[in-house]
Amino acid sequence: MTIQTNQLCKTYNPDSDFPVHAVKSLDLAIEQGEFVAVMGPSGSGKTTLLNMLGGIDTPTSGEVRIDDCDICELKEKELIAFRRDHIGFIFQDYSLLPVLTALENVEFVMQLQGHSEKECRQRASALLKQVGLTDQQHKTPAKLSGGQQQRVAVARALAPRPRFVMADEPTANLDAQSTAELLDIMQQLNEKEGTTFIFSTHDPRVIKRARRVIVFEDGELKEDRRQ
Amino acid sequence: MLVKLAWRNLWRNKLRTSIMLSAMVFGLMGVVSMMGFMTGMYGSMIDNAIAWQTSHIQVHNSRYLNNPDINSTIVDSHQLIASIEQLPQVRALSARFVTDGMVASARSARGVRINGIDLESEALVTPLAANIRQGEWLSLEGRNPVLVSNKTAERLRLRVGSKVVLTFTNASGDVTGAAFRVRGIFKTPTSSFDEGNVFVRRGDLMALAGIEGSHEIAILLDDEKAAFSLRDVLQAQTSNQNTVRDWQQVQPMLASIINQMGTSNAIMLGIFVLALSFGIVNIMLMSVFERTREFGVLMAVGMQKYNIFLLIMLETAWLGITGALLGIAGSVGLMRLLQHTGVSLGKLAEGLGAFGVDTTLYPQVSLTDYQMIFITVVAASILAALYPARQILKQRPVDAMAEKH
Repeated sequence: MTIQTNQLCKTYNPDSDFPVHAVKSLDLAIEQGEFVAVMGPSGSGKTTLLNMLGGIDTPTSGEVRIDDCDICELKEKELIAFRRDHIGFIFQDYSLLPVLTALENVEFVMQLQGHSEKECRQRASALLKQVGLTDQQHKTPAKLSGGQQQRVAVARALAPRPRFVMADEPTANLDAQSTAELLDIMQQLNEKEGTTFIFSTHDPRVIKRARRVIVFEDGELKEDRRQ
Repeated sequence: MLVKLAWRNLWRNKLRTSIMLSAMVFGLMGVVSMMGFMTGMYGSMIDNAIAWQTSHIQVHNSRYLNNPDINSTIVDSHQLIASIEQLPQVRALSARFVTDGMVASARSARGVRINGIDLESEALVTPLAANIRQGEWLSLEGRNPVLVSNKTAERLRLRVGSKVVLTFTNASGDVTGAAFRVRGIFKTPTSSFDEGNVFVRRGDLMALAGIEGSHEIAILLDDEKAAFSLRDVLQAQTSNQNTVRDWQQVQPMLASIINQMGTSNAIMLGIFVLALSFGIVNIMLMSVFERTREFGVLMAVGMQKYNIFLLIMLETAWLGITGALLGIAGSVGLMRLLQHTGVSLGKLAEGLGAFGVDTTLYPQVSLTDYQMIFITVVAASILAALYPARQILKQRPVDAMAEKH
């Protein structure tokens, strides 16, 4: 399964005197199972690119194809369902639901998919075990450290068995040890479950672990290397 | 999951939710108390009017209703009374000989309705016999005893044993009268009734009038609601020269009071619910807007907008249900207490006495009223959240997530 962009552009305030071209005519293909880091300075368009790849932002022009489907053409309801079933998100600030426990946060999207309570509970418990949080599964996010919350976020992103996981600067708020642990977990899940991970980051620790690095600057692809 | 999530979201800001719930609870207790007192006051007026004045059904000669002439007695009254007594719904009846006249003492004179009553049957139909404040109930002993009200006694400076003269027009059209001696002084809850009525033995009055018969048959039923159907039954049975009326027809004001009672309660509840709705709009706007980013994340991870709408509606429904239940529970407690203690009307009692209101009010709130309050509050809560929900649903996930809240 491939995610592919064709002449993808995103311009903010296109009709104003000072339009901002966040992404310029980007052609890119990412294969199933890749572990990709999109790096670049702040304001280079990394987050905008991830948002468009994940279907939560719409391009000004061009297309985002996942297999044969141009997700930009999907209706709102279909796009939300597509994201739910095929794309996982990890946010810089974790974005967990504060009123739910770690376990319930992980179960949540699976429940939106319509899985049975038992199935949700089993998979959520297994994922929390994988990210080393079995003992913390009944705690709410406020009672977890930043690293633990981000691990819950990883488990939540993977719970609905997505094909792609978009991680927007997932280690930005974490210390060195938490970053290393998180990257270990994501790398294991990538290898074990074949889930594609796409990070936006300027953290050298993440870039070092990535097997493919895409360098982005002023909305343009400057470098695309495998390592 | 959504139900649980909504309940927990409601308690994210405990202080804010508690303040809103307190406002709902105390507001509802206030509204229920007002409704209870209004219903209690109107109920008291209606109950007293039925008990003392109208009974449930009255029968008159149709001509008497247009012109209360002493000769316009009920047609075939004996036969009618006998058939009414056979009806299972009837608890008691009183056939009265009634005429308008004057009561005069050495001090003053007043226009009154002179009620000639059968002692035993009248005691079963009205509570008059049990409400003699001075002296005693009429009996067959003695010559020309009369019951006057405390108002009449006050105005005419009468005491038990005082002599009064009753004058009226007899069957021949001549003015007649006789001396009566005050046997007892009564007081009803309705001061206007007290001012205009005296009671004598039916036989004494008929002897003076020179005719026999009855001008009014007052019928008391076991069930008030049966009055309307029984009225038609009796009308069909009796001569068409007679008119059978239920208590609402006898005193149309009672019917309008019943209608007005619902309207005034609805207005009070409406005002409260309107104020409550603004409070809920405010609290839901705050609650929803401070979570804009969270809703953006929910949309991003695959929560359909209708589920987000449902989540917001469930949150406000929980607020409405909790507030309504707590408010109703508090109101039930308060009403129980007030129904036990009653509320003395104090100086208001004299003024309200003209309308037949008791001096102590006992609030009345029915189960239907509580159900109406519950449904109205919950419905208003849900309606009040439509605007905040719409504001969130208009957002794209990426814009919602860009919010700094």
